Amino acid sequence: MSDKHDMSWDDIEDPGPPRDRGRGGRGGRGGGPGGGGGPGPQFEMLPIKLPQLNPSTILIGVIILLVVWIVPSVVYTVAQDEVGVVTRFGEYVRTTPPGLQFKLPSPIEHVQTPTVRKVRAATVGFRQSGSQEQDVPNESLMLTGDENIVDIDLVVQYHIIEAKNYLFNIRNQDQAVHDVAETALRGIIGNRPIDDVLTIGKAEIQIQVKESMQALLDKYASGVQILNTQLKNVSPPQAVDFAFKDVQSAKEDKDRLINEAKGYSNSIIPEARGKAAQIIAAAEAYREEVINKAEGDAHRFLAQYKEYKKAPAVTKTRIYLETMEEIYPGMNKVITSGDKSGVLPILPLNKNLGEAFSSGSNK
Amino acid sequence: MKPINLIVLVALVLTLYGSTFTVNMTQNAIVLQFQEYKKTIAEPGLYFKIPFFQEVRYFTKMLLVLDASPADIITKDKKTMLIDNFTMWRIQDPLLFLQTLRTEPAGESRLDDIVKSELRVELGTHNLIDVVTKTREEIMEKVTTEANLKSVQYGIEVLDVRIKRADLPSDNAQKVFGRMRSERERIAKKYRSEGAEEATKIRAETDKEKVILVAEAYKKEQETRGNGDARATKIYADAFNRDREFYAFMRSMQAYKNSLKSGTTVILSEKSDFLKYLNKSR
Repeated sequence: MSDKHDMSWDDIEDPGPPRDRGRGGRGGRGGGPGGGGGPGPQFEMLPIKLPQLNPSTILIGVIILLVVWIVPSVVYTVAQDEVGVVTRFGEYVRTTPPGLQFKLPSPIEHVQTPTVRKVRAATVGFRQSGSQEQDVPNESLMLTGDENIVDIDLVVQYHIIEAKNYLFNIRNQDQAVHDVAETALRGIIGNRPIDDVLTIGKAEIQIQVKESMQALLDKYASGVQILNTQLKNVSPPQAVDFAFKDVQSAKEDKDRLINEAKGYSNSIIPEARGKAAQIIAAAEAYREEVINKAEGDAHRFLAQYKEYKKAPAVTKTRIYLETMEEIYPGMNKVITSGDKSGVLPILPLNKNLGEAFSSGSNK
Repeated sequence: MKPINLIVLVALVLTLYGSTFTVNMTQNAIVLQFQEYKKTIAEPGLYFKIPFFQEVRYFTKMLLVLDASPADIITKDKKTMLIDNFTMWRIQDPLLFLQTLRTEPAGESRLDDIVKSELRVELGTHNLIDVVTKTREEIMEKVTTEANLKSVQYGIEVLDVRIKRADLPSDNAQKVFGRMRSERERIAKKYRSEGAEEATKIRAETDKEKVILVAEAYKKEQETRGNGDARATKIYADAFNRDREFYAFMRSMQAYKNSLKSGTTVILSEKSDFLKYLNKSR
């Protein structure tokens, strides 16, 4: 497991860390006390060639060798994003800024140039190599405070603020940052319910992770400062993703149903209001109509009555006759004598009359 | 310079080189003479030793990260948890470390045993949910302290034991997924039925309002019509009451006009008012 971490970690970080430049390796190996190491062969070869060569030539050769050996180990450059950390016989002596710098030659002083300005990244829940991202479910799935499982990817950005601490205090700092990120994140997620994590808690969690990580890294005197923590992905696990999405669509269904009902209401109520107004208007029209008609009729009657009063008998006769004149032309008429002997004997019960009766009754 | 001098010089340089050694910032060194302990060097710098007789062993004094493989641990409520932890440690006493464990891999393996057993003991006194939530910090502190006590004898200092993951084994995880799913389904159902409830309420309210609107309109309609009729009746009555006989006459005339349509057969007596002049001149 730790091997896997190392490898994938190195993929993210600069593959050739510059921290070992000009130094005999870290940790256990150290200075190599055997004495048969670096400069040995130069001396061993000399005695063999000795008889054929002039001593002054040898001296010049030795000087050249020394120059070739010493110069590269005296002069060094520190790039803009680096600092130089110089140790003399293994002990820290100074930190140098970017530019061309000098030190005592190699066995005495060594320099390491960590890139302090560079923003490094640690990821929890996935691994990044180039533009490829690979999910690491073991890391990204974690328990929440209400015993649910949530899928979280975290990116932590950090840089070195204390090069001396970074170089000398923790071996494999990047692994340490990653592990600290994981423990901090899980500790915080474990204290929150899932709904909180999935919705409003994000910003707060980021801040808490940052603070918690910084506290631990300071405790380890790591020389590392966390710049930024970002929850890249916070989602329900794949296995239950559909159910969570369905809740969303259920929410939308609810809104849709309500909106549809409101739409129904919006179409029905105005229509009913219109219909009511129509009914009332019709009633008002009827009222006005009957009143006006009544008034009209009354006025007409009164006007006629006024004239009638002046000559009642003749007016009445005139109106009677005019009316009869108007209605009789279209009628079948049977005229009887004025005798009281009765109508029946003289009725001409002919065909025409029968037809007239039947058509009259049909009306 | 004679060649023999050069050889002496070379021998001298070699001896000097073999008799010095450097201790780095990140190291402690132990000097052994024929495997017998001589001294411990804790400060960095250049040191001397007797070549060929004395031997130097280096131990890192950096803080080390031990990220061991996860282990199944049973909690107080008899649930299995998958615990993945890491340990921050350093070699505190190089001599003790050399005597008991000799190498770093051996140290890591021993330390892992210690930490795991302390975790087992401690987690055995907590319920699963507590491990996940509130007592996680406490557990880590307790395990750190205990592991530290047990590691002293190996020259190891345990600075921190941190639980990275405290997860459920995969079959339990499936159960959790099942529970989460059913919980979400419940919530989804609730939303949908709430939607239906609300919608039904709105529709019912709408229908009610519609009926009321129409009924109110009907009421007003009848009132208005009645009003109109009443007024008209009064107007008629007021006018016609002036002369009932004349009204009856006029209205009859109008009624005859309207009701006696063409085709009607009438039997007229010669003595009727209309025909009274038919056979007479006067």
